[in-house]
Amino acid sequence: MLQCIFFLSDSGEVMLEKQMTGHRVDRSICAWFWDYVLSQGGDPSKILPVIASPTHYLFQLFRDGIIFLACTQVEMPPLMGIEFLCRVADVLTDYLGGLNEDLIKDNFIIVYELLDEMMDNGFPLTTEPNILREMITLPNIVSKMLSVVTGKNSNVSTRLPDATASCIPWRKTNMKLASNEVYVNLVEEMDAVFSRDGALVKCEIYGEVQVDSHLPGLPDLTLSFSNPSILNDMRFHPCVRFRPWESDQILSFVPPDGEFKLMTYRVKKLKSTPIYVKPQLTSDTGNCHINVLVGVRNDPGKTIDSITVQFQLPFCVASANLTSNHGTVNILADKTCSWSIGQIPKDKSPSLSGNLVLETGLDRLHVFPVFQVGFKIMGVALSGLQIHKLDIKNAPSQPYKGFRALTQAGEYEVRS
Amino acid sequence: MFAQFGATAESLSKASSLVLRIGTDAHLYDDPDDVSIGPLLDSRYDSEKVDALKRLLALIAQGADVSHFFPQVVKNVASQSLEVKKLVYLYLLHYAEKRQNEALLSINCFQKDLSDTNPLVRAWALRAMAGIRLHAVAPLVLAAISKCARDPSAYVRKGAAYALPKLYDLHHDEDSTALEELVDILLSDHSPGVVGAAAAAFKSVCPTSLYLIAKSFRRLCETLPDIEEWGQIVLIEILLRYVIARHGLVKESIMFSSNSASHSQADENFATSGDMLDHHHHHHSVVDMACDSNMVTVMYKSYIEGQKESFTQAGCAKGDDDKLDLPPLTSSTNDDVDILLRCTSPLLWSHNSAVVLAAAGVHWIIAPRKEMERIIKPILFILRSSQASKYVILCNILVFAKADPSLFSLNYEDFFVFSSDSYQIKVLKLEILSTIATKSSLPIILEEFQDYVKDPDRRFAADTVAAIGLCAQRLPMVASTCLEGLLGLIFHESSISSSSQLDGEAGVLVQAIMSIKAIIKHDPTSYDKVIVRLACNLDRVKEPAARALIIWIIGEYCSVGQIIPRILPSVLKYLAWTFNSEELETKLQTLNTAAKVLLCTEGEDLLTFRKILSYVIELAKYDSNYDIRDRARFILKLVPRNLTTTSEEETTSCFLQNVGIHHEFAENIFSGKIHSTASSAKSFRIYLPGSLSQIVLHAAPGYEPLPKPCSLHANDLKLRMELGDETKESKKMAKNNSFGTGDHDASSGSSFEESGSVYDSHHSIISSDSEGNEITSESNEIGHSSLEVMHDDWDKTLIDVSDAGVDNDQASQSAKGNLSALVSTDLAELMSKSALESWLDEQPGLTSVQMSQQPPSGRISINNLDCTVTPKIHMLLDPTNGNGLRVEYAFSYEVSTISPVMVQIEVFFENCLSESLVKIALKDEEYNSRVDSSYPVLEEHESLLPTDNAPSMLPSEEIASLDPGQRLKKVIQVRFHHHLLPFKVAVLCNGKKYLTKLWPDIGYFLRPLSMSMDAFIEKERQLPGMFECTKRCTFKEHIDHEKDDSSFHSDKIILISRTIASKVLSNSNVFLVSVDIPVSFNIDDASGLCLRFSGEILSSSKPCLIAILAEGKFSEPLDMAVKINCEDTVFGLNLLNRVAAFLQ
Repeated sequence: MLQCIFFLSDSGEVMLEKQMTGHRVDRSICAWFWDYVLSQGGDPSKILPVIASPTHYLFQLFRDGIIFLACTQVEMPPLMGIEFLCRVADVLTDYLGGLNEDLIKDNFIIVYELLDEMMDNGFPLTTEPNILREMITLPNIVSKMLSVVTGKNSNVSTRLPDATASCIPWRKTNMKLASNEVYVNLVEEMDAVFSRDGALVKCEIYGEVQVDSHLPGLPDLTLSFSNPSILNDMRFHPCVRFRPWESDQILSFVPPDGEFKLMTYRVKKLKSTPIYVKPQLTSDTGNCHINVLVGVRNDPGKTIDSITVQFQLPFCVASANLTSNHGTVNILADKTCSWSIGQIPKDKSPSLSGNLVLETGLDRLHVFPVFQVGFKIMGVALSGLQIHKLDIKNAPSQPYKGFRALTQAGEYEVRS
Repeated sequence: MFAQFGATAESLSKASSLVLRIGTDAHLYDDPDDVSIGPLLDSRYDSEKVDALKRLLALIAQGADVSHFFPQVVKNVASQSLEVKKLVYLYLLHYAEKRQNEALLSINCFQKDLSDTNPLVRAWALRAMAGIRLHAVAPLVLAAISKCARDPSAYVRKGAAYALPKLYDLHHDEDSTALEELVDILLSDHSPGVVGAAAAAFKSVCPTSLYLIAKSFRRLCETLPDIEEWGQIVLIEILLRYVIARHGLVKESIMFSSNSASHSQADENFATSGDMLDHHHHHHSVVDMACDSNMVTVMYKSYIEGQKESFTQAGCAKGDDDKLDLPPLTSSTNDDVDILLRCTSPLLWSHNSAVVLAAAGVHWIIAPRKEMERIIKPILFILRSSQASKYVILCNILVFAKADPSLFSLNYEDFFVFSSDSYQIKVLKLEILSTIATKSSLPIILEEFQDYVKDPDRRFAADTVAAIGLCAQRLPMVASTCLEGLLGLIFHESSISSSSQLDGEAGVLVQAIMSIKAIIKHDPTSYDKVIVRLACNLDRVKEPAARALIIWIIGEYCSVGQIIPRILPSVLKYLAWTFNSEELETKLQTLNTAAKVLLCTEGEDLLTFRKILSYVIELAKYDSNYDIRDRARFILKLVPRNLTTTSEEETTSCFLQNVGIHHEFAENIFSGKIHSTASSAKSFRIYLPGSLSQIVLHAAPGYEPLPKPCSLHANDLKLRMELGDETKESKKMAKNNSFGTGDHDASSGSSFEESGSVYDSHHSIISSDSEGNEITSESNEIGHSSLEVMHDDWDKTLIDVSDAGVDNDQASQSAKGNLSALVSTDLAELMSKSALESWLDEQPGLTSVQMSQQPPSGRISINNLDCTVTPKIHMLLDPTNGNGLRVEYAFSYEVSTISPVMVQIEVFFENCLSESLVKIALKDEEYNSRVDSSYPVLEEHESLLPTDNAPSMLPSEEIASLDPGQRLKKVIQVRFHHHLLPFKVAVLCNGKKYLTKLWPDIGYFLRPLSMSMDAFIEKERQLPGMFECTKRCTFKEHIDHEKDDSSFHSDKIILISRTIASKVLSNSNVFLVSVDIPVSFNIDDASGLCLRFSGEILSSSKPCLIAILAEGKFSEPLDMAVKINCEDTVFGLNLLNRVAAFLQ
């Protein structure tokens, strides 16, 4: 039972409080929390998600510069609190078109109304985005202009969404839409770790099947894969029926309107990665020479885009001088070094080289940075998962169907 | 010109920045009080109200207190605009508790909204009404909830389920059967959304009433996948608790399989029972079995009994295990277990990580060991769901892994550390890795560890080194590999830290040596070469803590193996040589080691060591640090003189005698065997999987371990079910009455709709229409019609009596009231008729009749009454709690002479001991907490009367002594702060203080107001509509009477009226105005019986009229309508509930 939710900025300012139960939580808990954050180094993203303060248990989520802080005094599943905060963050991002301090402050009434619908007496009430969208209208340009012109601005629906009564609460009933289309996107993230010897320790894909559906009526969709056996793990949106998946590994569902995550999956133990990053560090007499090579290892058939390499200079490095033959290199104040390459040119392979000066008294480097790599490949699902077909039943006319794929780097790390 | 341009440009840039924020509420947040909010709130236009309310919310968001607008805001609750309503509700709920009295003003509106056609409005009204947390309106909320629980809209029913915990929270200590009934109704709802909400209500209202689950267990399991995710989390837990309480643990589950393993260990000393074989098979490799099953036993105990008990048990003795009572067991083929497992397995695919973990928790506890694999992949997969949940999941995995390392041993790759993980996550992953490492996976894990050691985060590197040590201890066959790695690390690290002063490095180095020390401890003899290598590298290690550790290792294992004794002299010489340049801890360890070596050695080196020790001691004696000087003296005293020093001639005879003892001390202190530390399982805190307690590692408030296996017996269940059926058969009358919507009984021919109207009449109390009157007149009518039917067969004399009654009452009756006049006859008048004596003469004690015979001015006091009217005695202090002092209290019929707000209470002190008690007094605990000064015993009464609203008690004299068996009565006067809230009072006795609570009885917040029948009816007419409230209840007591009293039919009505009168009079301080009995009653018809009581509220002197009307047959439970007319509606409502409660 969550008693209260606070929104804090990343500088510790309390932007909003919403009491959930009759047991009010005093704002001073935020001060305690901020002191705690400072005592832990001041980085909200590195704070434990569950904290026992002297008076309350705190659940904490840091997302896009906003700290979502929930308080409780009694036993409750901590994941429930955390998942709820995640859901709040998702819904707000959806509503406000992003998440930052100004957006929250500018739309605080909508935030209040949303929170009030999403939780009652500390227990989640309506968290399904589609129903929320019907209860509290999205702030869009038209409604904003209208409110300026007419002075009227009501974002509270006067009617209870029908879906609250139906057995498929994620979908509006009697939907009438101008468009008749459905898109299926495979969005994959590749997690890979290379050991200090350059060996591939672990490589796996974490993927999502994102569906963007704009279909009239009550369509019944079936999505099948040509190679479902490669999937190691999966999780489904509540709309997916378990039975067909258990027996035939077919996704059968009535989709909500708009974008949603139909399924998330994992493909483990992949053997190859699209690019290589080879760091070399040799140190001697207080100096360390660094050389990083980046190139294509296995051509995925599409261009590899937005390649970045990032690493943290070890604390014992006093100064650094880095140059690259392609792309730009920046060293930030916290000793983070970021090299953005973009696309790999055809004629040469990008390389970064330079010299690190170590702290006095230190002969050679004994700790080595980890290189975090980012990239993006449009049009390819590197896991090899392929969509076989998408059937639509109950549709008045055959809708337009679109498929896309995207792979980007997740936790892609090269140790040196 | 230019200036103009400048101004335009400025305004343009302003405008452009505004465009982005246009239409948002940005300006309200930035500047909420730039206009005066008050007038806006009173505006006629909704848009202005909205603006004002938004400004208020902005102020709330920013932490300002704007509760002073409360009255103005509350007014707007009546607005038709939903947006205004929503904003008002948001404001209201934020401040309701602070401004209780003003919040009361909004109740009317909620009541009205509850019957709105828009389900959204109904749901909001219920939410807001339940949310304002007022004790006074709790009965209304209960009525509203029970109405909404039957609403056609699922959303409203869901709202009703959500409102239950709020009400329960408000009324913790009161009987929650009414709430439980509602939970039951909602749990059997056909809409999955409602069931989910009902599960949440169940958990907070009646988490132990698992019998409610029994009848719908299967259905609940089957709807589980369709319920909303949040409801699933709660319902899974409830179903698990039910299965454990009903059937016990599953014998194939991990807890039992290992439990039996620990038994077989204890009994058969590792004999290979079937279970054990099975276990080994699963483990793929040899793991520390004893530790494993210890862990599981602790886990099992923690799950079932809670941490506290398990700690004490575990702490008792190790041999306790075989005394452990085996819980009742069931098998996984049990239908209930099977269906729960089957219905929770698809939830392992849920996209909500909390649901996955909850479902995994069920499998963990009741699934057969061989099916456990099913939960592994889903749990590992949710690790990727969000950074925040990762930590919680890892904490749970760690417990699972500790209990059964083989579960996750193949998935070690999932615990490899990313550099982006936070430090806490890294540490958890390391611990899990070192727990699940097996012979086959360890090489890969160690390779991974080697990478971690070079991580820039040195704290993490040190933890990695510790983890390597743990791995080596778990798997002794790889210990030597680990040791090699650690030694290499030490030499590498020591070379670095020698070259510069770095904080983190020392930590890594010290941790490496600690790990080595831990590994050596298991088998010192085979690692003697490692010790030698450490000793040889002493001069390279500069870190004092690390040096001290190495020196300790040398001293501890100085006699191990062949090589160590040989190098000892040179090592000790080196230590003595560097002694002066060492740091404190190293010096201390050097001293210890020198002493240890001396004690262990014999032969030619003895002399060398003796010299070294005395040299070191000499140095230490003049050290600047007093710790070292102390240690030197200590060793000098302890180690036998003849060994240590050259000054043997100084030894006195006294010392010689003590030498033996000293030697023994020294042996024990310096060469005592190291006892292996308690197994980690014992100190590991385990709570149910997925709980908050498991994360914070202490039992959070509200944490409940699993119920005792099989504590829910089949017989219990059957009994409960039968009871349930019975109540259903009797049309849920009793139940419904308890929360205010009584059904009419069948004889009056009314159906459910009409019971709805009873609720509406409730509603009318507030919304001031006079519907409520109709109920009573209606029932009168029914009584009358039956009366007319019977009229013809009735005895002549009785008709006469009836006529007389009509004549008598005619004047006072309104035209409308004729009907009731016809049936109601003053019993006193009846009594005067000789005709009645024919059927009254055999009555033994006509108390109620005698009472009413008294002149109207007379007062009914206890003494005049028969034993049937006895004040209810409440226990204040139980002799078991009060060390033999029993204190009871009863509300007095006397009215306080001091102040009208005081209630007079008789307190009885009784000594139940065989010795006398002294210094007994009652003290006002709340007064004491208000005023810190000592209690002003002799102060004037008047000055003690508080001016504020605070409760208080007039002091009574102290009882100096109470003899054994003696019972003493004292009268105290108490002012309660609220007629529902208890008053804290302390009983002092023998110098001890016992805190207790005086519970107010609303029936005694009245004083009798004697009036005539006419005056009563006149008064009643003056208090119509909202001042009137009605409630139905069932009266059964007369049936019991009937059994033991088989007198003929005529006295039944007297009997009943007497019972009712004495019931009312013994529970409240009122005056009996009249008893009307139906003139035309036949053998079995009680309809028309009417009792009237009148009283006056103590504090306000407002009259309060009670009328009780009976319907039905004598042989059956009577249907009673209680009606109260009172100006103070809240008081009236509460009194009504009280009357209805004690009548039942």
